[in-house]
Amino acid sequence: MHYPTPISRLIDGFMKLPGIGPKTASRLAFHVLDMNEEDVLSFAKSLADAKRELTYCSHCHYITDTDPCRICNDTTRDAAVVCIVQESKDVMAMEKMQEYSGLYHVLHGAISPMDGIGPEDVKIPELLKRLQNDEIQEVIIATNPTIEGEATAMYISRMVKPTGIKVTRIAHGLPVGGDLEYADEVTLSKAIEGRREL
Amino acid sequence: MYIENLTLRGFRNYSEVSLTFEPAVNVIIGSNAQGKTNIMEAIYVLAMGKSHRTHRDKEMIGWESSFAHVKGNIHRRTGPTVLDVIFTPKGKTVKVNELEQQKLSQYIGTLNVVMFAPEDLNLVKGGPAERRRFIDMEIGQASPVYLHDLASYNRVLKQRNQFLKDWQGSRRDPGALLDVLNEQLAAQAAAVVKRRFEFIQMLQGWAEEIHRGISRGKEQLEINYVPSADVSYGMDLSTLKEAYEQAFQTKRDQEMRRGTTLSGPHREDLLLYVNGRNVQTYGSQGQQRTTALSLKLAEIELIRDQIGEYPVLLLDDVLSELDNHRQSHLLNTIQGKVQTFVTTTSVDGIQHETLSKASIFEVSDGQLVEVK
Ligand SMILES: Nc1ncnc2c1ncn2[C@@H]1O[C@H](COP(=O)(O)OP(=O)(O)OP(=O)(O)O)[C@@H](O)[C@H]1O
Ligand SMILES: [Mg+2]
Ligand SMILES: [Zn+2]
Repeated sequence: MHYPTPISRLIDGFMKLPGIGPKTASRLAFHVLDMNEEDVLSFAKSLADAKRELTYCSHCHYITDTDPCRICNDTTRDAAVVCIVQESKDVMAMEKMQEYSGLYHVLHGAISPMDGIGPEDVKIPELLKRLQNDEIQEVIIATNPTIEGEATAMYISRMVKPTGIKVTRIAHGLPVGGDLEYADEVTLSKAIEGRREL
Repeated sequence: MYIENLTLRGFRNYSEVSLTFEPAVNVIIGSNAQGKTNIMEAIYVLAMGKSHRTHRDKEMIGWESSFAHVKGNIHRRTGPTVLDVIFTPKGKTVKVNELEQQKLSQYIGTLNVVMFAPEDLNLVKGGPAERRRFIDMEIGQASPVYLHDLASYNRVLKQRNQFLKDWQGSRRDPGALLDVLNEQLAAQAAAVVKRRFEFIQMLQGWAEEIHRGISRGKEQLEINYVPSADVSYGMDLSTLKEAYEQAFQTKRDQEMRRGTTLSGPHREDLLLYVNGRNVQTYGSQGQQRTTALSLKLAEIELIRDQIGEYPVLLLDDVLSELDNHRQSHLLNTIQGKVQTFVTTTSVDGIQHETLSKASIFEVSDGQLVEVK
């Protein structure tokens, strides 16, 4: 199919988003043509603004529009506890829960030799540096319950333990990483494992 | 348990067929390429939600059909159950009592089958991978947790092999990450091997007795699991884990040089002995066949131990390959206990007594009729 260039470019743009194939992309592109101009311009602007105004917190590497981020800056939070997560969206999930009042450290990935990701390719060196300077007494490792998330947790534990800082790992109800078809009984068997000291 | 009714629509060369079976022995007779194995496959599909001979579900859709449907009425001690498996080009649907099941693991378990086909001789004659696959399938049938542990083991193994490859030949210290991968792999290995030891222990008990029966007391079968670390039956998880960590430690230089993992369940095997001699190397054809048959019949007893009733037995093209004595032993074992489906190209090789007690079906070009 031959589309005029502006449409093809728009379709290409949508296809760069996760989970969107050529069909959905062209449906979205033609939808945009039908939208009123004001909405289109404001959508385009919010895309560009988000990219321009958001950076990563130099402290915890969470996505932010101020540096340090609001969480790091909040003096009512408990600076003695740091929760380590893989992605910024994990921070959002934790915050939605409203149970946790410590700080975070976002790794931006997990150790995975198959993907060429070693400890230096996620924010582990930054974490270790942070632990030297800050008044941190406990780290809670909340990496994903996958093989790679576990390896990352074990690696961090090995690096942090000699410093005397307490290391804990959150418990997971739902194991991921194996065959999801079998999750049910596996969940039951693994759910017995509680939050444990590493 | 037994299958009371089986209906196939658009399944391989069956456009539409509906059959009623006896709880005892059902013999399916037909020339080559008429659809005998297809029937066995359909029964296997009803039990496992997938074929025993292909990973591609679509292959089973009849060439003239847009879907394949296998339906069965299963009788268990707990009552009757209707099972449905439907394949379309888009995917498969599985139902228990008309209710669609989202997960295959929720579907599997209503109908249990044990299949014995000529390929099963590879269990004895083939390489270690064949025997590991047998162990893994058998344990996995009853334990989704085992399948999960095995999948996790394989994933860590891939990670560790990649890591070793990345560091292959390097003289620098690979650091704490190798220790982490060792610990992680050892923990998964422990979980897998513990279940394997327990399984072999139970299998050994039954297989030994059955083999003695088939050989009229002349042959003593022995099954040994051959681990790649200093481990044995009865060890707890933490002892097993330590032993594998020790094995990784011992072979560290060698592994760094070769760039791959040299110990673990992926390098372990079963050794089968008859009267103290390795039957894989020294056994006659007949001894090897008897050994494979003993393992399969032991499997039937293991399933009974676990679920409290016998599974359905599928014998594809094997009965006529057994001599009279083995045939009658086999049939005595299953007589009155196990619903059995037997395929054969002709009745010539089969004992008269068996045939006289069985229901007989004739298959010809996708048409199946009961003749007795
Ligand atoms: N998807 C399909 N649709 C229609 N026919 C098929 C399909 N797949 C296989 N067949 C046909 O089914 C027949 C094979 O059936 P099957 O494997 O059951 O034979 P068999 O009776 O077991 O023979 P043998 O004695 O050689 O083992 C072949 O003729 C093949 O062409
Ligand atoms: Mg066949
Ligand atoms: Zn921050």
